[in-house]
Amino acid sequence: MSKKVLNLVSKLLIPAVIVSLLVLPSCTTEITEISSYTIADSTGDWGYPSPYTHYSRGPGYTRMSFIFETLVWKDASGFVPALAEEWEYVAEENAYIFELRNNVTWHDGEKFTAEDVVFTIDYMKTHPNPFVTLIGPSGVREAIAIDNYTVKLYLEQPYAPFLHDVAGTLAIIPKHIWEGVDDPKSLTGPEAVIGTGPYILADYSKEHGTYLYEAYDDYYLGEPFVDEIKFVKVSEEMIPAALKEGSVSAGDIPPEVVSEMEEAGLTVITAPIAWNAKLTINHRKEPLSSKQFRQALAYAIDREALVQITQRGHGIAGSPGMIPPTSDWYNPDTPQYEYDPAEAKQLLEGLGYELEDGYFTKDGEELELELIAEASFKEVGQFINQQLEEVGIKVDFRTMEAKTVDAKVEAWDFDLSIYGHGGLYEPSILKRVIMDEGFNSTRYTSNEKLSQLLEAQLSEMNAEKRKELVFQIQEIYAEDLPALTLYYPKWYWAHDGNVNLFYTKDGLASGIPIPLNRLSFVK
Amino acid sequence: MFSKRNLVAYTIAFLFILVLNFALPRMMPGDPLMAIYGDEALIAMTPELKAQLVERFALDKPLWQQFGAYFLTLFQGKLGYSYYYNAPVLSVILGRLPWTLLLVGTSLVFSTMLGIILGIESGWRRGSRTDRAMLAGLMSLNGFPDFFLGMLLLIAFGVTLGIFPLAGALTPYSGLSGLALVLDILRHLFLPVAALTLAHLANGYLLTRNTMITVLKEPYMLTAKAKGLSQRVLKYRHAGRNSMLPVVTQTGIWMGRVVTGALFVELVFAYPGVGYLTYEALLARDYPIIQGVFLLVAISVLVANFLIDLSYPKLDPRVSYAY
Repeated sequence: MSKKVLNLVSKLLIPAVIVSLLVLPSCTTEITEISSYTIADSTGDWGYPSPYTHYSRGPGYTRMSFIFETLVWKDASGFVPALAEEWEYVAEENAYIFELRNNVTWHDGEKFTAEDVVFTIDYMKTHPNPFVTLIGPSGVREAIAIDNYTVKLYLEQPYAPFLHDVAGTLAIIPKHIWEGVDDPKSLTGPEAVIGTGPYILADYSKEHGTYLYEAYDDYYLGEPFVDEIKFVKVSEEMIPAALKEGSVSAGDIPPEVVSEMEEAGLTVITAPIAWNAKLTINHRKEPLSSKQFRQALAYAIDREALVQITQRGHGIAGSPGMIPPTSDWYNPDTPQYEYDPAEAKQLLEGLGYELEDGYFTKDGEELELELIAEASFKEVGQFINQQLEEVGIKVDFRTMEAKTVDAKVEAWDFDLSIYGHGGLYEPSILKRVIMDEGFNSTRYTSNEKLSQLLEAQLSEMNAEKRKELVFQIQEIYAEDLPALTLYYPKWYWAHDGNVNLFYTKDGLASGIPIPLNRLSFVK
Repeated sequence: MFSKRNLVAYTIAFLFILVLNFALPRMMPGDPLMAIYGDEALIAMTPELKAQLVERFALDKPLWQQFGAYFLTLFQGKLGYSYYYNAPVLSVILGRLPWTLLLVGTSLVFSTMLGIILGIESGWRRGSRTDRAMLAGLMSLNGFPDFFLGMLLLIAFGVTLGIFPLAGALTPYSGLSGLALVLDILRHLFLPVAALTLAHLANGYLLTRNTMITVLKEPYMLTAKAKGLSQRVLKYRHAGRNSMLPVVTQTGIWMGRVVTGALFVELVFAYPGVGYLTYEALLARDYPIIQGVFLLVAISVLVANFLIDLSYPKLDPRVSYAY
């Protein structure tokens, strides 16, 4: 090339190179450090964030999970390493081997080792912790430290959701602090919140319902990019206003304000279905003990309309198999009992009932059922009341205080009741809410095949086979209908977009549907 | 004035209240186990967990034994340990009590004082337009529940105008201290106090107004007027003082409500208070907290009544004791 061109090129090229060298580095994804992030909650106080003192509800565990960690964890897609880098299941021995990280320190500087894992398991077996059951079907028979950073857990019996229910939920506590502590609830000082998590507790106020977390600089995944997290108490009605005003960065919002929040520039996320509202039926009492009668009830209640009217469209109609249509475990062939009042009437007539003046009677007695529910289910109850009366079943609907309803259901002193529960991410919930004792369970053991399947799915370690079992369970359960799932409500959170909040796959830990995963706050 | 008979009466009342406080919560259907742990589907109530909890809550011991234990700890000055809050009852209640006293105490003072003054002025001008307007206005205000007024004030001044904060007793972790902190607390206190004051204004007002009307007809008022005393002296020193008595009595009764009376306002403003604590404890069947709060209410009612008894002769020298 001629000297002139060379000159021109160098005059342009070199500055261009220099400029691009200056500009390019900032084009790579640099996460801006955030000094403070505020999360609003209407209850506020969920207990001291230590494994034995946080209140026995999802939000209590969530706050603790920023300070204490588990062997494995989950992000938006599935299991990820936490304190364990690798793990494998040894089928012949029914044991899990966890290879632990060697660069983890407790908040007080001590090194984390396999000894802490073994200690935690032994301690929590003798000092039961509500969120993790280490005895029984989900239990660990023995925990051995093979070396400083390898631990082997021998299970009591094959337990399919072990990683989900136990390894991903059990908060590991430091041996050097908890050793010799007889009463775990007596530990309420700063030593009780020494964990391995990305945040340390700087302050907690019970009466104000506030928490202050500060980033733990020596966290093994690197210093969290959010320096400080504040949990504050704001009433349910004021959270949307606080979000718009900017005094709060994230919080749960009612479905009605979703569009308003989006218009204000906030990001709105919705939880994968975790919770259902059920019509609990006293299947030990006549006439509800008859399968046909219960099926008639299902045909008589228009669950689609129920969602439209009582939930103003913010929900999904319930599937009689309990597992929601949005779940990977959903069986599309589950009988749905689409709204058919004529079919309902036919079933009742088949049982010997006759319509007299618009209501069904048998042997001269009018068919009347009592429906009880807590006040928050008032509209749902009124809707069901109306639908059943249209078919010809007289209903006496009453709202009562929550624990009074629970006590009556526990004592089988009811006909119909409305109750809701979560945990729908993992099929292990099915056995608990269908077969187990307690007012929050249907306590239905009359179908041997169903009972057998419910037990079998817990220990089926092969994913495909387990799915088959869960499919069968839904079909039989929907056929027998000891309780009817009415609807699944939709839940929303709104946030300012500074932190990528997400809903953990299958819920946080054992199935908590709150989008506060500590991984969102770590690079 | 403070005779032995009086003391005996108060003691009997106190003991009776203690027994009631113990028995009533336990008569509610359900138990703490069900209430605290039963609701969460992710918690499996295993036999081991249940056994541990039953032991911790002493639910398996006979009632009289439980009461005995409660009575003994009470005399040691301890109020027991909360089932739900995992903390000593005394510390849970004391954490919130100052805020409750601040909130309800302030609004009680304002609503009583304002009610008395408005009642006096209204009664003095009975039948006039001012009187009728005040009567109508305060009666309609009385119709609104306190939380509704709270919501209106919060939306108007907190959300729309943005002058006042939306929640809490103070700005959490603001690092403020001294005067700045006091101002922050006052800013957070303003709307809830306004809501409670406005909601309860009518009580003091109506009572004072009615008593005022009766008092104004008294012969001594005519004498006072004839003496040529100023309007202010007539209204406040002569008529007002005599019209105050019913309100003072009422306030004494209300002292019992100071502790738990602001439940809904606490909810709306996310204000820490004993009212909401009581509500949550009732739902959770947290017997130790319920007993603790009821005890506090009982003591404050007894003390308030005692103080009223003492102050009555000073307010109205005509009152004497028949004992």
